[in-house]
Amino acid sequence: MKKISLMGCPNVGKSVVFSRLTGVNVISSNYPGTTVDFTKGNTRIGGEKFELIDVPGTYSLEPTSKAEEVALYMLQEGDIVIDVVDATHLERNLYLTLEIIGRKKPTIVALNLWDETKHLGIDIDVEKLEKLLDVPVVPTCAIAGEGIKELASKVGDAKPSKTIEPMSEGERWLKIGEIIKEVQVVHHRHHTIWERIADTTVKPVTGIPIAILTILLTFLFIIVIGNWIIEHLMDPIFYNYYGPWIVGAVNSFSPEGLLHDILIGKSTVESLDFMQSFGLLTTGLYVPFDMVLPFVITFYFMLSLLEDVGYLPRLAVLVDTGLHKLGLHGSAIVPTILGFGCNVPGALATRIMETEKQRFIAATLMAIAVPCMAQSAMIFGILGRYGMKWIIIVYCTLLVLYILLGILLKKIVKGESPELLLEVPSYRKPDPLTLLKKTWTKAYGFLAEAVPFVILGVFIVNLLYVFGVIDVLSTVFSPVLTTLIGLPEGAIVALIMGFLRKDIAIGMLLPLDMSPQQLTISCIILATYFPCIATFVVMLRELGIRDMLKAAGLMIVISLTVGIIMRLILIGI
Amino acid sequence: MELLSDMKPDRKAVPLSTLFPGERGKIISLGHGAGIQRHLRTMGLMEGKIITVIAAQPARGPFVIGVEGTQIAIGRGMVRRILIQKI
Repeated sequence: MKKISLMGCPNVGKSVVFSRLTGVNVISSNYPGTTVDFTKGNTRIGGEKFELIDVPGTYSLEPTSKAEEVALYMLQEGDIVIDVVDATHLERNLYLTLEIIGRKKPTIVALNLWDETKHLGIDIDVEKLEKLLDVPVVPTCAIAGEGIKELASKVGDAKPSKTIEPMSEGERWLKIGEIIKEVQVVHHRHHTIWERIADTTVKPVTGIPIAILTILLTFLFIIVIGNWIIEHLMDPIFYNYYGPWIVGAVNSFSPEGLLHDILIGKSTVESLDFMQSFGLLTTGLYVPFDMVLPFVITFYFMLSLLEDVGYLPRLAVLVDTGLHKLGLHGSAIVPTILGFGCNVPGALATRIMETEKQRFIAATLMAIAVPCMAQSAMIFGILGRYGMKWIIIVYCTLLVLYILLGILLKKIVKGESPELLLEVPSYRKPDPLTLLKKTWTKAYGFLAEAVPFVILGVFIVNLLYVFGVIDVLSTVFSPVLTTLIGLPEGAIVALIMGFLRKDIAIGMLLPLDMSPQQLTISCIILATYFPCIATFVVMLRELGIRDMLKAAGLMIVISLTVGIIMRLILIGI
Repeated sequence: MELLSDMKPDRKAVPLSTLFPGERGKIISLGHGAGIQRHLRTMGLMEGKIITVIAAQPARGPFVIGVEGTQIAIGRGMVRRILIQKI
């Protein structure tokens, strides 16, 4: 099967072209660099089957980040290149185009965002451009699906160019100058009122209050709507329908004994306790579906909205100065925000940072001080009943930790911390269908990942209790736990489970009858001491074994230190 | 372009960082290593282009500059090394 590589600069709508060509709806996003994880798909053009590869966006073939290295590698792999060009920024997009064509790969150029050139007063002579480049050029408007058929029909005509030779950088810019002069006419245009309004979101005086308001409203939305879904949808389903049914069903073939307890714990129809029973079919399903899923859905809806509108790069600009003090720069806000949803995509997104130092700092800070949505939902679930105060203590401690640790890492980690250099795309109207699909894909991803692990976790805990392993572990670790941090011996089970999944681990704190102080300390330790297994695997892959060991060492030292300090502050000696 | 003709030929090149939001200038030189220069050009920041400063973040934070309908956020260190002629 022949391979088609789809290439282009960031923000040219490449992913939309991809999803149009493959029919599979691949998510396209407004943030430069989010398609670092490349996507493949199959497509049939004129009876022939092709493999289509969505290559990460890159400005040139001389890579400046890990993502762009991947792009270069994938160009060499492909048989045919579809070069997606932003027709509204033809000049700078032509640089990559000339580089690709200069490598004598059979190429077709898609002039995307064609409809917008008309609004912007840009005239491009497609035929002349085709002649100058000596490869097929097709105007497209991928969002509306226009020009895609023609693009596909031209795949057979892709050929190496005879007019464009490999050249030096200076020659290339000269060539681009000549081409632009011949094919493009720009009519003068004034700054529109909408552009002026958009500018207020990056000016510090207006931008910072708007950013604070946006973040507050986002969190308010997640909490209020998430709780509403739990109260009016999930709880009634679990308590009125699912609960009585499952208890009855299990009782009908196994009224008591080991199997009964593993499946539904000590639950009876009258005393249904989804949190404390710790059965595979009670707690194992209640935690992911009822307590966590509603917040995951609302979180990803809001994140996708901010992403698609194009707000995130502006947030990156506003937080840049602060993040510099931590050895990062503004772009690091993206992995951080993603980490609040789930640390796994957060760790993957650290690839948008340019240097190893920044990737290490961003990943380590996230793993230690950014609780994922599953964790946050559980923290709210078990601490909320004692008042907001305890929740605020947990998050403030993590924030202070994030800042102090960042300052420290900036000093001790060797390497460069380059500055922010980021395109700020214009605001775009989000497409509701894409938004819902994106939310659904991510929520589904959460379920596919979480449910098996939570159920496995509950199962392991049951086995540990049955075989008395818990008692042994409790005795072994009690000096550290009880003496140093002031937690009951039983908390060790939760800490062990935290290696697997944090949400279920926090759920296990509930039966231990702890004071709010002890619960608060436990939540902080659970958040910081080690990432869950899924995050650990991804970090290992991204950082390599040496840096991961360093990060892990840091985590253990830090969570112990913070545990002891918090114990002294909250409980005393 | 009529804008180029308003410029006095004897205007000296100054660092981009000396411009205030709302001010405009023509890029004279990018003043970095070859790698960063190339990256800046592929983002649209080229010698001869007219740029507008849209925002300057406080405490030596990044600039947001507009060039031909694109906005680019760029750290203050780089901003200092880009030389422009005020318009």
